[in-house]
Amino acid sequence: MRVVDLAIKDLRQILRERQSAFFLLIMPVVFTLLFGFAFGGFGGGDDEDPRLPVGFLNQDAGTVSEDLVTLLAQSDVIRLVTDTMDVADLETQVKDGVTAAAVIVPAGYGQHMTAGELVPLTVIVDSGNASGITAQEEVTAAVTRLLSALQTAQVGMETAVSQNVISESDKPAYFETTLARAITAWAAPPIQVAVSQSGAVDESGTETAVSSDNAFAHSSPGMMAQFAIAGLITAAQILVLERKSGSLRRLLTTDMSRGSILLGHYLAMFVTILAQLFILILFGQLFLKLPYFQEPAATLLLTVASALFAASLGLLIGALAQSEEQAIIFSLVPMFVLAGLGGAWVPLEFTPEGFQRIAFFTPIAWMMDGFKDIIVRGLGLEAVLLATAVLIIYAIIFWGLAAWRFRFE
Amino acid sequence: MGEYAVEVHDLHKDFGEVYAVKGVSFNVQRGEIFSLLGPNGAGKSTTISMLACLQRPSQGDALVMGHSVTAVPQQAKAALGIVPQEIALYDDLSARENLDFWGKMYGLRGAALQKQVDDVLELIGLTDRQKGRIGKFSGGMKRRVNIGAALLHKPDIIIMDEPTVGIDPQSRRHILDGVKALNQQGMTVLYTTHYMEEAQELSDHIAIMDQGEIIALGTHGELVRIVGEQDRIDLRINAPSELVMAHWQEVPGVSQVTADDGLISLLADDSNVVLPRLFEVATAVNVRITSVEIQEPNLETVFLHLTGRALRD
Ligand SMILES: Nc1ncnc2c1ncn2[C@@H]1O[C@H](COP(=O)(O)OP(=O)(O)OP(=O)(O)O)[C@@H](O)[C@H]1O
Ligand SMILES: [Mg+2]
Repeated sequence: MRVVDLAIKDLRQILRERQSAFFLLIMPVVFTLLFGFAFGGFGGGDDEDPRLPVGFLNQDAGTVSEDLVTLLAQSDVIRLVTDTMDVADLETQVKDGVTAAAVIVPAGYGQHMTAGELVPLTVIVDSGNASGITAQEEVTAAVTRLLSALQTAQVGMETAVSQNVISESDKPAYFETTLARAITAWAAPPIQVAVSQSGAVDESGTETAVSSDNAFAHSSPGMMAQFAIAGLITAAQILVLERKSGSLRRLLTTDMSRGSILLGHYLAMFVTILAQLFILILFGQLFLKLPYFQEPAATLLLTVASALFAASLGLLIGALAQSEEQAIIFSLVPMFVLAGLGGAWVPLEFTPEGFQRIAFFTPIAWMMDGFKDIIVRGLGLEAVLLATAVLIIYAIIFWGLAAWRFRFE
Repeated sequence: MGEYAVEVHDLHKDFGEVYAVKGVSFNVQRGEIFSLLGPNGAGKSTTISMLACLQRPSQGDALVMGHSVTAVPQQAKAALGIVPQEIALYDDLSARENLDFWGKMYGLRGAALQKQVDDVLELIGLTDRQKGRIGKFSGGMKRRVNIGAALLHKPDIIIMDEPTVGIDPQSRRHILDGVKALNQQGMTVLYTTHYMEEAQELSDHIAIMDQGEIIALGTHGELVRIVGEQDRIDLRINAPSELVMAHWQEVPGVSQVTADDGLISLLADDSNVVLPRLFEVATAVNVRITSVEIQEPNLETVFLHLTGRALRD
């Protein structure tokens, strides 16, 4: 009971401090938005269309290439961006990640294809980008459909001619009609290919490459992880001041044990971070349309584990810092190091394998991985169990260090 | 349970090379005000820390209401209210919130807690200012809340470590009167100070502490009698002179000559007899006396007599 009273006292102090709101909520929200827009990659503001953008340049004229456009437009995976007429620009857009890939239809494409000669489309992809490969596969699929439609039309036409159903002069018109019918048939393909995630696993298998349609799918969990650490600055400062003023010593003159004093402070930090994460998750769900609530149990478990970990780090900071300034430094340094290494800023799937291996020594990487399992990969409770376990182990380690280094005066 | 509220047996405390307390023994009777008087670094706070079970004695033991601070610290603690030397409060909480919190830490709850907080606010004279944040209070007001926080659980004994340091005379008066009032209600008070006037005014018994040891213990009257009927003469001279001090030491009736920061203090049997001789000697060695002050015997004199040093900082 007294542990709770102590925690309530801490929380009252935390709430009274104006900087708390700044570190706990304002900064993470601002940075989530900033990072989201900066690294959001594809189509920043275009939340409505979740498909990968693919640059498209049609240098051909005629119905066949238009049919190809029709087929590509049916895709659930890609959408065509046709605002560029310049090949160099298309390449730049792919390189910069503005588009996942680019497709150029060469002049005479339709004529050759109709004549039964295969002409390759030019597809520009960034080999390091998994989305590019996904887009390429989709284009290939569309071309395959186009080819079979062409064949269907060809066979249909030749049959018609041989049976004298149509005259030689009607051939082109008949071909076009048959082709159009074949293409339309593809709109309801006999086999439905369900694409639940626009992701693919890269060869090394260390990290699932993910390209979410939502620009904030990375920055939201990233800034949550980062500011769960910075959020404890006030709480750690309160501990430092308590020690400095002699209140901590005075607490020992009551019959509160050392353990319950630590527990009380830990409880306050835990509740603070838990509340912070819940508000940020709510913000992510409601305003950024991130599906945190899709798997409520997984989100809850991971949030609690994250708060347990962050609070134990806060306790350690409060144990080590001798002054209020040190409390800030001791919070910000691990915040930058852990957030940077742990992939809170740059998605780990874009980093070399060696870096990823180091990253997973940080609790942040696990926290990020867990949240992305939920909001990007659409996975549930089972997927976040490992991340939860790792975070709890970190919590125990930091608790041990804090209890060991804690000084009451 | 014995007749004493606090019994201290041969307490020692060393911090590595620093011997802060070197074998201290004293008894505090129930219902009395007992003062530990000593200069900075004498070991007063360290002694109190051991009584409050904050530090373990290197050697020796103490009983608080019969409970050993080493064997059953929880029971010893429960009988004590500790007023620390520093203002051990939360600046960003109000006076009432502070008292409320400390009351809870002492195990009070609900209506009993609220009543105690009200009573203590009344006692320290801050009922009107209870909603004000401690950080905005004057030094004297903070000191009063600091004391109040130790009274909430109605301890048998209150231990106050220099509760009047750095405050205005009016607040000091308020606190000294408060201490007496508490004592009249039956609370035993163990008070530490380096102001001899406070020890003199408040205490039934006084232990004079210096460099980790108790060098004298008794009632004010008993202590003053240590120096007999001696007067203390404080003199200033125009230029520092070892010679004149050596000669003064030879004057019949002078028992001690000490110099401290330009002020020369003598202990003399009868200042009326000794003073003319002091002037004669000074004239003989060409030293001018620029000021003279004669003091009746007091605790200051006792400290000077016992240690050769002045009590004040
Ligand atoms: N934790 C500690 N570590 C090392 N030395 C200490 C420690 N605490 C106290 N001391 C030393 O012990 C001696 C006695 O200190 P203490 O605080 O008990 O004196 P005090 O009589 O309360 O003085 P003051 O009037 O300044 O409060 C001092 O020399 C002090 O430097
Ligand atoms: Mg002291």
